[in-house]
Amino acid sequence: MPREKVIKALALGTLFVLLASSLIGCGATPEPTQPPEPTDVAAEPTKAPEPTQAPEPTEAPEPTEAPEPTEAPPPTEPPPPEPEESSIVIAIPEDPAGFNPYVSDTGYEQLLMELTMLGLTDLDAEGNLFLELAAELPTIENGGVITNPVTWEMTVTWQLRDDVYWADGEQVTADDVIFTWDAISDPEGGIWAEGIDYTEGLEKVSDLSFTVHYSYTYPNYALHFGGENFVVWPEHYCDASQGFVAWDCNREPLSNGPYLLEDWQTGDYISFVRNPTYFEEGKPYIDNILVRIVPERAVIKTMLVEGDADAYMWLTPTEIDDLKEEDHIGITFSPTTRWVMRLIPNLAARGSIDPDADPHPILSDVRVRRAIRMAIDVDLLTQEIFRGYNEPVWTELFRPPYVCDIPRPEYSPDGAGDLLTEAGWTDEDGDGIRECHGCETAEEGYVMSMENMIYAEYGEELELAQQLVAEMLGEIGIDLQLSIVEGPVLWADYESGGIEQNGDFDLNMWDDGYPGLDPTDHLWAYYYSAAAEPDYGWNVGRWYNADFDALLDEAYVLDEEYRQELFCQMADILEEELPQILLWSEVDADAYATRLEGVQATVNDIMTWNVADWKVNE
Amino acid sequence: MGRYIVRRLLQAIPMLFLLSLVLFVLVNIAPGGPLAGHGRSRRPDPEKAEILKRQFGLDQPLPIQYVVWLIGNDWMKVDADGDGIKESNGTRRGILRGDFGFSFKTRQPVLDEILGRLGNTVYLMTATLLIVAIIAIPVGIISAIKQYSFFDIGVTTLSFMGQAIPEFWLGMILILVFYVWLKNPATGEPLLPPGGMKSLDTGFNLWDRIQHLILPVTMGAVGWVAWYSRFLRSGMLDVIHQDYIRTARAKGLSERVVMLRHALKNAFIPLVTILALDIPYIFAGSLYVELIFSWPGMGRLYYQAATGRDYPVLMAILIFASMFTVFANLLADVAYGYLDPRIRFE
Repeated sequence: MPREKVIKALALGTLFVLLASSLIGCGATPEPTQPPEPTDVAAEPTKAPEPTQAPEPTEAPEPTEAPEPTEAPPPTEPPPPEPEESSIVIAIPEDPAGFNPYVSDTGYEQLLMELTMLGLTDLDAEGNLFLELAAELPTIENGGVITNPVTWEMTVTWQLRDDVYWADGEQVTADDVIFTWDAISDPEGGIWAEGIDYTEGLEKVSDLSFTVHYSYTYPNYALHFGGENFVVWPEHYCDASQGFVAWDCNREPLSNGPYLLEDWQTGDYISFVRNPTYFEEGKPYIDNILVRIVPERAVIKTMLVEGDADAYMWLTPTEIDDLKEEDHIGITFSPTTRWVMRLIPNLAARGSIDPDADPHPILSDVRVRRAIRMAIDVDLLTQEIFRGYNEPVWTELFRPPYVCDIPRPEYSPDGAGDLLTEAGWTDEDGDGIRECHGCETAEEGYVMSMENMIYAEYGEELELAQQLVAEMLGEIGIDLQLSIVEGPVLWADYESGGIEQNGDFDLNMWDDGYPGLDPTDHLWAYYYSAAAEPDYGWNVGRWYNADFDALLDEAYVLDEEYRQELFCQMADILEEELPQILLWSEVDADAYATRLEGVQATVNDIMTWNVADWKVNE
Repeated sequence: MGRYIVRRLLQAIPMLFLLSLVLFVLVNIAPGGPLAGHGRSRRPDPEKAEILKRQFGLDQPLPIQYVVWLIGNDWMKVDADGDGIKESNGTRRGILRGDFGFSFKTRQPVLDEILGRLGNTVYLMTATLLIVAIIAIPVGIISAIKQYSFFDIGVTTLSFMGQAIPEFWLGMILILVFYVWLKNPATGEPLLPPGGMKSLDTGFNLWDRIQHLILPVTMGAVGWVAWYSRFLRSGMLDVIHQDYIRTARAKGLSERVVMLRHALKNAFIPLVTILALDIPYIFAGSLYVELIFSWPGMGRLYYQAATGRDYPVLMAILIFASMFTVFANLLADVAYGYLDPRIRFE
């Protein structure tokens, strides 16, 4: 073929590609996914909420006078105009992986899940448990919970509501709950879930009732099949052979919650319409919800100000201050907090996981840890960097239902210096940094210098806090070398070279907290001796305390008063030994357009936890 | 030339194979891992991490992981349920059979993840490149022909500004001006949308699509226009002082013919190299543009995959980008032959 023809063919081909790609872009609007049509079964009055306004023919007023045959019938009034549908936009910065928080736990999966799916129970913002699919909460008093004082085994019998239906008209039954649990606990396609280690199996009692057999007393049973992660999936709709974490349901769920998925354009938006068969009569109040993915938080803020977004969650303190000035924007604060920023001292020498054989030269002495805490002005940090929205916290047991009376530690740089001197750390060469002169944990002359790591994803505020902490410790003669690493590097598993699992750090700073009402799993993961094993837990400071372990073992009981007592004994030990230095709890705040009513931030769940109660006031 | 193209394509196969090996090793040995917590879970539950490791295939040695990624594991027994017994064949078919695996984050097939975004990126980047070509080529030519004129000085100044402005900052300023400050006098609505590909409450509307393109294309094009126009100006200046241009003029050809047929063609040769290197952007997208203007494209997908250590998605994007680069280089070489007849394909 002559060269010119080849070139022309190439040019034409290129032009075709360009045009085709333009058309792809322009026409890339797949047909919206139609929500499943409710069947007649669901519309039957016995199974779905009956419309309260339905006029009864027998109640129609009788005409007092018979109409004259010659009179023309009165003109019928035109029907009132259809009320305009209410719509809101929730802006989020990240594309959710799906509707299943067990697959990915960014928080945005929970947001979608709460729009469409129900668990048996959930928590409100105050931490009070409320029922969703469950008809009542099983307790020892009502016979729903039976414990064996000898074997510690426990059985819990749940009764489901009889008026909840999937969007295709099928009733939500015990089979669905059992199906969901079996899918989760399937060794091949399942995943680990809270309570799985204690659960022997679920047994169907009737269509609307099932019993859970626990191998050990499980105090958090009330949220086992609910809370922020667990929802019930439909047996007749989800394909178990695809596996719980990979089944199509995770992206195209069948609703039993207040909304139906209408359309999902990956990376762009997810739209929802009101579920007409939702079991709570008259709810939800809002007709359409659009979840818009806007990666840049500054743009979300601008959209909120301009009225193009109605809700935005997890505000930073700076954003709170910026948005609270706007008349048409409200800020809602969670009544309780959850995330606690903490310093995690490594009690083992860097690179070691054995604090007995290789104690950390500086941090293995509790007096040093105590001095570090005394030298940090937490009030200054919360006021200057977090604008007063974060609050000082010094014990793990600081929020309901388990609050322990641990006195707030004093801020005293002088006292901290004295403690370090007492521990054998003094600055004899006059360079402002202490050295070991008679300390019990390091060689003579060892310089009191350590690395402090934070994770990059938190952002600028944590970097500023890190710098301030370094300055504060510098004033008492502790040198901190600052570094910032990515979360996946800091928290990777042992084999992947995870910094913490390998013990390759001195003093890290990051935040965590526990969801729900039960701190046992949280305390176990961070402080239990067995959790110090690599990839077995997150006791990465390698703190061992047999008394603490025994108390935690004992806390797996249902007696709330006794548990309170045990937790406070644990809090005393933690206060005494300071395996972690807790600094402040983080504010949890969401922004909403004031035309929205009912939005309430919560740390126990996600912003949409009560979406069925939201209203639009135009 | 056909033989040349076939030969080049065949040469690309071992190169891509070697590249895939290097990329796979680099991606997997980079610090961190996909099991670490994200979002609300700072720390992954160890039991959960163990299950994920098995489901992701990360419990296998790295060479085995590469083999599975390449040719699948449906021919070998695997331990799918973690009981230590290899009881059934795997389900992966490997990239050589079109199976790029599933995303660690979404559990969706990687190809679905990519195809869901590729059209959007190609759409945006094609529009951007067209605008770049439409502006940069005439500007570069005129700047060269009218060297040191007010036009040339003005364009030069703007070009330096265009290259110097941080892309991210420019995007935010564009939103501030065209979304926050300027309003449509008829409706009172913002003049231009702050992001997305289209308005959600309308069907297909060409003007709506164009409105959504204006700001992201502007943000993406500014740097490129500045760069391309300077490059073309420089190329033209090199060429128009050559003897053959003087000869063309002496033969009585019009200035238009001299410039467009004789000068421009040769000035394009160095530009082709630059253009070829930029073609993969049509596939890879522009991260900042997609982030600022909420554009659901490949740049964001790559960013999410990189930060979340979503190895299968990361590897697929890198492999496709490599293939595009190879293809673009071949295209450039073919174009050289057209632009400069002295180049022969041996």
